[in-house]
Amino acid sequence: MSEPTTIAAPAAPAGFAIQKKRLRLLGLTVDDTIKAFFGGNAVVAIVVLTLITFFLMQEGLGFFAQNRQSLQVYRQAGLEYVDFIRTEVDDHTALTRYLSDLRLRQLTALTEGRKLSLDEANAALANFDKFSDTFSSTVDPVRSLLSDLTEQATAIKTKFIVTGDKKEERAQLLAEGKTAEAAAVKIEETDFAAELKPLLATLPAFKEANREFSRALTASLEGAPVPPTPELVARMERLKQLTRDYLARLPSVERSLETWDYTLPIPAWKTVSSFVFGRQWLTASFWQDWYGVIPLFIGSLMVSIVALTLAVPLGVGAAIYINQIASLREQRVIKPCIEFISAIPSVVLGFFGIAVLGQALRALSQFSWLSWVPGFPYSERLNILTAGCLLALIAVPTIFTLAEDALNNVPRALKEASFALGASRLQTIVRIIVPASLSGIISAVLLGLGRVVGETMVVLLCAGNRIAIPDFTDGLSVVTQPVHTMTGIIAQEMGEVVRGSIHYRALFVVGLVLFVLSLIINYAAQKIVRKYRISIG
Amino acid sequence: MSAPAAHLFQSQPNAARRSERATFWVFRAATYLVLACGLGVFGTIFFKGAGTVFKAEAPFINTTFFTEAPESLYIFEFEGKKHEMGDREFRAFKEKYPAAAKVKSESYVYSAGGIFPCIVGTVLLVIGSMTIALVLGVCAAIYLNEYARDGMFIRFVRLAILNLAGVPSIVFGLFGFGMFVISFGWHVSLLAGWFTLAFMVLPVVITASEESLKAVPKGFREGSLALGATKWQTIRLNVVPYALPGILTSSILGIARVAGETAPIMFTAAYVVRDKLPWDVDKAGDFFLQGVMALPYHIYVVSSKIPQNEYTERVQYGTAFVFLLVVALIAASSIILRNKLRSRYKW
Repeated sequence: MSEPTTIAAPAAPAGFAIQKKRLRLLGLTVDDTIKAFFGGNAVVAIVVLTLITFFLMQEGLGFFAQNRQSLQVYRQAGLEYVDFIRTEVDDHTALTRYLSDLRLRQLTALTEGRKLSLDEANAALANFDKFSDTFSSTVDPVRSLLSDLTEQATAIKTKFIVTGDKKEERAQLLAEGKTAEAAAVKIEETDFAAELKPLLATLPAFKEANREFSRALTASLEGAPVPPTPELVARMERLKQLTRDYLARLPSVERSLETWDYTLPIPAWKTVSSFVFGRQWLTASFWQDWYGVIPLFIGSLMVSIVALTLAVPLGVGAAIYINQIASLREQRVIKPCIEFISAIPSVVLGFFGIAVLGQALRALSQFSWLSWVPGFPYSERLNILTAGCLLALIAVPTIFTLAEDALNNVPRALKEASFALGASRLQTIVRIIVPASLSGIISAVLLGLGRVVGETMVVLLCAGNRIAIPDFTDGLSVVTQPVHTMTGIIAQEMGEVVRGSIHYRALFVVGLVLFVLSLIINYAAQKIVRKYRISIG
Repeated sequence: MSAPAAHLFQSQPNAARRSERATFWVFRAATYLVLACGLGVFGTIFFKGAGTVFKAEAPFINTTFFTEAPESLYIFEFEGKKHEMGDREFRAFKEKYPAAAKVKSESYVYSAGGIFPCIVGTVLLVIGSMTIALVLGVCAAIYLNEYARDGMFIRFVRLAILNLAGVPSIVFGLFGFGMFVISFGWHVSLLAGWFTLAFMVLPVVITASEESLKAVPKGFREGSLALGATKWQTIRLNVVPYALPGILTSSILGIARVAGETAPIMFTAAYVVRDKLPWDVDKAGDFFLQGVMALPYHIYVVSSKIPQNEYTERVQYGTAFVFLLVVALIAASSIILRNKLRSRYKW
């Protein structure tokens, strides 16, 4: 170590031979100002992201308060009470549907299995029809009670809403300074206890009706005829079992009615859970609006799954082919072509789906030699499959480009070492190149998923737009059902809703869910790349 | 014995080799299937749309389609002859033959006339939003590439850009609706659409610009600084001019995105139908605060709101054809120019 040489600090700045006066503005030189200007532009990205969060929250978060209010009214006006009975009736309707399905199967069995003519078959089923009629009419006393109660509850709700409107009117008049007019607006506070009294007074009548219903239903089961084939006999037994289960549940309905209390407050978590786990998205109904995101979420999910199942093998396969197998000439032509596919606007793809692909796929499903495919043949032209195929075409270029990049980044040395050890090209690709770039490929797939989930126009035009959870009971054939998606619902309903209404805010919350989802997917993609990147060198 | 091998190491056909070849064919099939699908979409729309856009006789292009506004199409039988007419023509026809007023006619909205206002609207939207996006994006890229030192702040900015690139376009639409249309009170207007679209392509523009700035060799900057130029002079005179062609060509891809997106303009800028053309305004200020018709939104309207049949098909495929052609040309020129540029500038 050498002795540090001390440099004598100049007593006073000697002054350079050349001195330049710098223009200063608020203590900043011109160069500083320019730097600050450019820096300011760089901040825009952060600002925009913050603003998106802010505005989605601002418009969306009010939803939860409004939804709680709506749930509160649902309870106070007795709608919840009536819905207990409605569920009971609906469950019975489900049993009747099972019964009519059974009749159809019997008819097929008779006409095709025993070669009876249609009239003969119908005559053979007369006994069954009689049973079926008794079975379905047993619920009538409960049903007529239900329709009365429905009217009563709706009346209470309407009254409450009218009062709310009047309050608003008065507040508005007061705000404008018209005190006299405001005082003239008559407001009748809704007294739920008094209003509900007649509704609750029907409980003995309901119990009576329920007992009668229960008795009649049990009796009707006695008269059940025996269907012609063993398979159908099993189904009949199943129906009987279901009915017995249903009968066992009836007393619990009565208990819920007895213990029901309109004064119970709605807990705060309920408003969130009714959105996150709600199985119904029902708007502008006369009874009660439900904003449950589950059907939309499942729709988005199903469409994305179909799209990725098609796009991942194609995109990754094409990337491997172009990067490892293709000749240089092929590479130079095909790569821009696939990138070019990503330039097809999504609305054009959506139009293509409506005009061409939907019909083509349906026609394909009608071929009898394809009937082994689950869900084929189907009749809905626009469904998960149509939308999924088109979304796959959107996802392929994204996955291809990013996966190809990842393959490209694998160090040459790995490949050469593999060849030097005597591995074939296929072995090198499968055992060396793909595992080495797996993190990049996975993140490519994730970003492809992000593209697909956020895509709007294709699903809006081609997914069928039926707001319901698809029926999963038939396994894979679920892909031939229409669904609605989160992006689609925003695009479709945003234009029609009243600003500031609960429906409007619900759509913003759906947007918020999409936004958060896209951030999560992005974050995961980055994390995977960073964590599992092999060091080059 | 078969013919002797030419040399010891010549490859022998065996099972492993056959399976390798088969696997390669699977990969090849995947690649060409993707290309075929893309070609199928292009082909169908070009083939069917060409019928609307081109004509058999001079001037070979359907000028009405490009120069007029959309109209309702009326189809009726009059004096034993079948007529198809646009709205205005039909009214003139009824004045000429009063008896025609009573005929029963089928009508389809938007199926006659042309798409001129939509083209104008799309062009306006693209010009405005790309101007905003380029100014913001290029400046941000200059900062990121020339000034910034690695640190917390820059990491944040990069993270924001990456995440912004993944935000779904419909969320941008909602954001634009909440901020510009409602909070700023701009209503459905060009201005709201411009900013919404500009923010949407911002990540594309920033990434493209940064790439081109990075491609300018360090020596250019160091030489300039060594000669006594300030940082700003260096950037202005020795960096940006060399990066500019790259920035512009890469940003063309952003244009394709802006022109092609429907979801962000659905609630911020697009009208289903508007009689006036954008320059028909009383005050100059109104120009920015008016909604416009746009090609992608028009395609959405004609493909979802009117039935599919031989009469409506023409305008549907025609619009899609024009739109696809424009976007494809923009994208193709971007890709070709980029490849040219890469080979031209080699320092």
